[in-house]
Amino acid sequence: MNLEDYRALFATVSLVLILVVAFPALSAVVSFSNGGERFSELWLLGPNHMAEGYPFNVGVGEEYSVFVGVGNHMGCSEYYVVYVKFRNQTQPLPDINNSKPSPLPPLYEFQFFVADGETWESLLMFEILGASVQDNSIFVGNISINDVPFSVNGFSMWDSENNGFYYQLFFELWIYDDVSSSLRYHNRFVGLWLNMTV
Amino acid sequence: MKKFGIKGLHDVDIMSVSKLFLLLLILFVFAAPIFVSGAFAAYSENTAASAIDKAEAAVVSAYEAVLGAEQAGANVSGLLARLNVAGEYLANGHIWHGLGDFENATRFANLCYDIGEEVRNEAVELKNEAHGLWVWNLWVRMTISMVGVVSVVFLSFLVWRSFKRRYQRRVLGMKPEVVSGES
Repeated sequence: MNLEDYRALFATVSLVLILVVAFPALSAVVSFSNGGERFSELWLLGPNHMAEGYPFNVGVGEEYSVFVGVGNHMGCSEYYVVYVKFRNQTQPLPDINNSKPSPLPPLYEFQFFVADGETWESLLMFEILGASVQDNSIFVGNISINDVPFSVNGFSMWDSENNGFYYQLFFELWIYDDVSSSLRYHNRFVGLWLNMTV
Repeated sequence: MKKFGIKGLHDVDIMSVSKLFLLLLILFVFAAPIFVSGAFAAYSENTAASAIDKAEAAVVSAYEAVLGAEQAGANVSGLLARLNVAGEYLANGHIWHGLGDFENATRFANLCYDIGEEVRNEAVELKNEAHGLWVWNLWVRMTISMVGVVSVVFLSFLVWRSFKRRYQRRVLGMKPEVVSGES
């Protein structure tokens, strides 16, 4: 190795050392976040806190329970709202392709804040308070959610293919949007099919 | 000739006046609640709606302040826990408003507003503290780095100079070898 080669080696080593000692200052002003995928999770668990034993055949005057949960992987604390809605088979679900929520009015709601990497979960108890069968249709008048009674007044026709009167209790996830300064549908929902047995 | 004419009020019997007054009073007593309750219901609904609007604004403002504090590097877990209580009250406010129970809706909205305001104020203080700490931390890091960089440059220069001197001395100290030519 001649002197020029040694000079280059010295310069390289010195530069690396300079970068090492400058790292504390650089790390304070430059973000080294990985910028991975940002998303939120929404889940529904059965009464035993497992993905089984979900209420399906439901009768009047009996109480059922599920757990609804949300996980935040958005990179910062988020403000979420979960709307609980009730529909029969003909009423609209959220439109996943166009990120549009169901136009049905919410019966119940949860508002909560979750730090990045954390989860939120809540128990939801429901009870059909009144239902009556008329020919090949059923009418559900009221439903109680967490001991609050709501009027739903929904008919459901007999589903001969699946042998039952079907309703769906579903949960929409909304998130606070900094840009529009309002809540927007987060394009996630989970549902629970209920077969009314009177 | 007999004269006919309408009697003036002064001609009406005192008893008739008191009867008329009593009748009007009874009518008023029965009719008033209809108008008053309607007015109160409208007032109550407006009060509840206004309280909910205020509570929503307070929660959003508190959340934005908490987010600011979090970005400044503060630990906001305690504030998030309290915001969750405010969120629960706000949700209850919406639910009771939807059910027409405006008194409960107003009560929950006011509770939410109070917590939202408290959280916002604390988040702003926390953000300022965190920002001050961040600035101090930055100064310390900058100073350490500057001293480090200057030291590395200076030491590198010294080491290079000494190395170069030794290298040149070694090169100059070399004796040329005489190789006998074949031709």
